[in-house]
This record gives sequence, structure tokens and C-alpha cells, in this order.
Amino acid sequence: MPTLNNQGEVINDAWFVSEQAADDGKPGAMVPADRWQPDSGAGLYLGVDAEPEATYSAAAFIGIDFPAFNDGRGLSLAVLLRERLGFTGELRALGDVHPDMLHYLQRSGFTSFELPAERNLATAQAALQPYTAYYQGSIAEPTPVFRR
Amino acid sequence: MLPCPASGKANHHLMYQYNNFDKQFVAERVSQYRDQTERYLAGELSEDEFLQLRLRNGLYVQRLAPMLRVAVPYGTLSSAQLRALARVARDYDRGYGHLSTRQNMQFNWPELASVPDILEDLAKVEMHAIQTSGNCIRNVTTDEYAGVAADESVDPRPYCEIIRQWSTAHPEFDWLPRKFKIAVTGASDDRAAVDVHDIGLHVRQVAGEVVFDVKVGGGLGRTPVIGSTIKTDLPVADLLTYLEAIMRVYNRYGRRDNKYKARIKILVRALTADKFRDQVNAEWAEILGSQRGKASRLPTSEVQRMETFFAPPEYAALEDATKLLSNQRMVEPEFDRWMRHNVTAHKRPGYAVVVLSTKAFGIPPGDVTDAQMELVADWADQFGFGDIRISHQQNFVLPDVRADGLLELWQLASANDLASANAGLLTDIICCPGGDYCSLANAKSIPVAEAIQDHFAQYEDLVNLGDLDLNISGCMNACGHHHVGHIGILGVDKKGEEFYQISLGGHSGDAGAEASIGKIVGPSVSRSEVVGVIDEIIDVYLAQRLPQSGSSEQPESFLNCFRRIGMAPFKEQIYADAE
Repeated sequence: MPTLNNQGEVINDAWFVSEQAADDGKPGAMVPADRWQPDSGAGLYLGVDAEPEATYSAAAFIGIDFPAFNDGRGLSLAVLLRERLGFTGELRALGDVHPDMLHYLQRSGFTSFELPAERNLATAQAALQPYTAYYQGSIAEPTPVFRR
Repeated sequence: MLPCPASGKANHHLMYQYNNFDKQFVAERVSQYRDQTERYLAGELSEDEFLQLRLRNGLYVQRLAPMLRVAVPYGTLSSAQLRALARVARDYDRGYGHLSTRQNMQFNWPELASVPDILEDLAKVEMHAIQTSGNCIRNVTTDEYAGVAADESVDPRPYCEIIRQWSTAHPEFDWLPRKFKIAVTGASDDRAAVDVHDIGLHVRQVAGEVVFDVKVGGGLGRTPVIGSTIKTDLPVADLLTYLEAIMRVYNRYGRRDNKYKARIKILVRALTADKFRDQVNAEWAEILGSQRGKASRLPTSEVQRMETFFAPPEYAALEDATKLLSNQRMVEPEFDRWMRHNVTAHKRPGYAVVVLSTKAFGIPPGDVTDAQMELVADWADQFGFGDIRISHQQNFVLPDVRADGLLELWQLASANDLASANAGLLTDIICCPGGDYCSLANAKSIPVAEAIQDHFAQYEDLVNLGDLDLNISGCMNACGHHHVGHIGILGVDKKGEEFYQISLGGHSGDAGAEASIGKIVGPSVSRSEVVGVIDEIIDVYLAQRLPQSGSSEQPESFLNCFRRIGMAPFKEQIYADAE
């Protein structure tokens, strides 16, 4: 499954969702919230309906799993992780990640996108920045157009 | 129509004018949608994926053909824009368009593949179809008399435009549990029906300061609810930060498992309005503490910039035209009737607000031809300042007509099926496209509207039925706003047959009477029985109404009569034979 960063570059890294406790300590493990420890150095794996807990800001990496590409809860969760918790690490969109959603994801604070295998990589790269600028402020550009 | 401060002429626009930023944004939106359409036609996007994208660009696929809903932001059009819509009707459709109850313009016959071309044409006159459908923040609506109404305290249009820009392609709030409708009013008579919107804003002036009262969770559809006030006296600077707080609570906690329970009204009801308000206030406090939140507060300069677009046009200093008009009205009884029902007082002496009714007999309510659109555009230039509104009653409004031109305008409108003198009356029916066009509908609505108009056309004035809202929806989605009709008609499906459920006592709320949701009168009836039932209802009203109500010389209105006598007399009369 190809993963893109904010610049549309394909990245290869070891992050994987840890299905069982035995794998939680492996390098690159994303651990579900109920097993994740703030001081473990592990990545954190969240559903779109997760509540942003203060301890999450210590995570090395957070992945948010979209059950459907049009589930906007993941966008609000990302905003809260960035703005309310001050999480500065890599935030990856997982699951049903759609090329036409990438600009919303990016503006809400995601920094990488794991695309399902069937998605066209070139389409996704082309859809990353359909607009030169937007009206409102966002995580990516906090200043709204009326203050620019 | 670019600003021309050096010329010494009035720097009026009557509406928002795109700057380079807006132009670029809309052009990029057209390119993005063209690419999405091409990917769909090439099989790269599935039916379901494309559905989500085309809806956000106004395109439904209906029973007979695609339907394109073009945004008319808060119901305001220039004459040039209306001419462009006429061209779309002629070049891409079958020569007509449909005025919707949300102040937009719909086309029923465009080709899916040519929609990007239509959008490109519309972009040339600063129009688009962005977020006119789909589970996102829809076109914000307002009072069709905004800026000219005598009972207005604050012109809502600058705030509507601020909300339009803020809600366009919002990074966080374009993928909501369900559609989301915001309405704004600045007048004491609430023509925007803010009580039955997801968010209803009432903008007022308090000691020279502009403030908002905020209602949430109103709505029609299958669970009609009157909205709850969760904030009063919200300062204008915090309009967007407060909206953000509401949207975030809804986006995170609104139900996504059942589309019939996904509107914000269900969340507000489940939490209670008090708890919902507490959550919004907690969220709002956090937003105000953040850097981005602080930057989102509206500076006075931005509000002033928006206000200049809607500054009053250069009105002539005119005498009151009452004497001229009363002579004209004596000579022409039909003109007199039109003046009574379709012409409203203007803020300025010598001007009037005119409703051009689309409810001529034999024409589906809201349908207008390309030729009619061009005529209305010409009249807007000739008799006013080129400003046109679409009302939620699906009529055109000319907001600045010189009173000494009213007779001529009436003659022109009469000759072109746009002068039915029935604004606000029983035959000024609000009606969705229904089963003739819409794939969601359970039943046809247009033939029902026509049968009622036919039956009452001559009669309503003879007996002075007065203001009576009759609203028809072809299904529970309530596009015809049947819940807030004084008489509401809802198409239902009973084992494959079309039936109609009649309700009484709904009201969208105004200075005289609070909003209410209509109550169902009894078992539904077949299409052939509808006119007879309406006749029975009118008979009960005529027999029971008080000859005078309050200080008015007029007989008691249908709504007041219903509120006084209740459902029982109507029920008895309608179902007497059945028992």
C-alpha cells in the first residue's frame, strides 16, 4: 500500500498496526489506545471516534483509521490532536483514504496518507493540492483569508 | 460593476463582488470537478465515490435525468446573473429552470458530462453550485427582503457572505453526518424561517452593537422540530468561532449509523439543549484560547468591507406615490388586487418591493422559462437597480421598484404569466418537484398543487381568505416545507399507491405568531379526495372565524382561528362521512 507525504512523495517506513500485545514492542508498531503507554516510544493507533487524551501528545507517531472515506470525524480528531494537545509528530491517515479527501486531511493536520492498494498513485498525487488557497484558517495555514 | 470611488457616483454594488481570490477559487473548483467527472466516466471513480463528489457540486441523479442545483447565495441575483441562468436553461436544458424553497435555481435536464461546462459558464458571472447538496454546510439563506424591508434592524447579507466564505470547502466540516442548513434574519418578521434550520441566526442591534441570537436543532424532514436558543447576544467578532464550536460538536457526536437520525436536531434532543449548549461553550472557550481561534475572530475591517458591498443604492428623493397609485388602483381592479397581495412597503418613500409570482395556473410552482428569466432581468434594470431575489416561496422579488412604475411593471408581468396576485394566499403554494421529477418522492405533488390552484383561483379573493400558507411535499424529506404550512400536504406511499396526509396549524414564525409544526388531521386520503378535503377545511374556517381580529379590520386569519378552535371541528367535518 503506497504511502504519500504532504509533498506527494512516496515514503517507505516500517509503521504497522499492532494486532496483538506480543507485537507492541516491535519497531514501527502502532498500538491501539487501550494497550498504548505514553513512555513506550510506540506509535498510537486511533479510531475516528477516539477522544483526544492529554497523554497522546507524547506519542512518537499517530495513525487514525478511516472506516469510510467520508467519515469526517477523523478530520475533527486530527484538529484536536494538533491544536488542543499540541501533538507535533507525524499524523497518518489509514483505512479508506480517498485521493479526493487528501486536501481536507492535509489541512486538518495529517502529514502522511496510506492509500489502499487499489488507489491510483498518480491521481492521488495530482489531487493533493487542488486549490492555491482557501478561505478559512486551518492547521496547515492558521490565518484566514481576511487576515492575509 | 467594479468599485469606482473616484467617479463621485455612488459606490454601490447591491451584492458581493468577487475579487481575484474568489475567481481563482471558483475556477479551481471547476477544474477539480471536471477532473472528477472525467475519472468517473473513465471508470476510475465508483458510482458511490462520485456520488459524494457530484453532490457537493450540486448534481443529483433524479428519476428522469440529472438535476443541477445552482447556488444563489442567500437568494440574491444580479440581472447579469439571471441572464446567464436563462442561457443555461436554453443551451443545456429544455428552456426552463425551477426556483427552489432554499432560494436556489435548479435545472432538471442537464447532461452529466456537460455539467463542468455549465459550471465554467456560471463562473464567468461569479456563480457556482458548490455545496448545494451533500452532507455539508449548504447555501446560507435569508430574508428575501433583506436590505429593503421596513421591519429590518440589521441587513443580514454581509453576515451571510461571511458565512458563505467560511463554510466553502471547510477543511473540517465538509463531511458531516448529514446536510446542514444555516439561515439568518435581521428583521422582526422572520421571513427566513430561522426556527426550522439546523442553525438559525437572528442578527440585531443592541446599543449600536451588532449581536446574534443563535438557535440550533430546528428542522423539517421526518422529525420536525423548532430550534432551541443556545446563545444570545453573541458579539459579531465571534460569529465564526461560535459556529466552529457548534459544528465540531455536531461533526464528532452526530449519529452516522442511521441517516434518518443524523441531523443535528436529533443530537440536540438526545443530549438536551442545555447539555448541548454546555458542550458548545466548552469547545468555544478552547477555540478562543488557540492561535487559530484568535485569528478566526472577525476584525471590524472585514465586517465593514462586507457591508460596503451591500450599501444602499443611490435612491432618488421621491415623493410618496400613494395618490397616483390610488387613482390607478381605482381604474384597474386587477392592479389593485396585485398591489394588495404582491407589493410590500419599502424603507424608502416612493419605492416598493414587488413579488413576481411563479404560481400561474397550469405551471408547476417555481418553474420559470428562459424568456421569463430574461424579462425579469430586464425589469430589474428598468424599474430598479438590477437586483433580484428568489424567495423561499419560490417567487422572484424585485426589491427596489419605483412606485410610479408599478402599473407598467404589473402590465408587463401580467402579459408574461408573472403577475398572479396571490402572494401569501392559498394558491401561492410552496411545492417540491415531487414524483414527476424526484426519485425520492412517494407521490406526485405538482398535480395536487394545480388542482388546488384551479379550484380556489377565483374563490379566495371573493371570500377574503387572507394569508394562508399551503405547502406540499412529495415525501418525508419535506422539501415543500409541509410541516410549517398552515395547511400541509405530505405525499405518502401506501402499498404502492399515492396517498396524502393533511396537517393543520403549522407556521414558519413571524412577528405576529411563533413558529409551530403542523398536526396531522387524520388518516391520509387519495389524490382525488385532496381538493374536497381542503374545501372542507376552508368551510370550517369561514364558518368559525371571527369577523374582526384584534385591532385589525380584517377577519381572523386561518392560523389564529385554528389556534383558537383547535383540531376537533376540522376533524369532524372532514371525516364525518367516513364514520
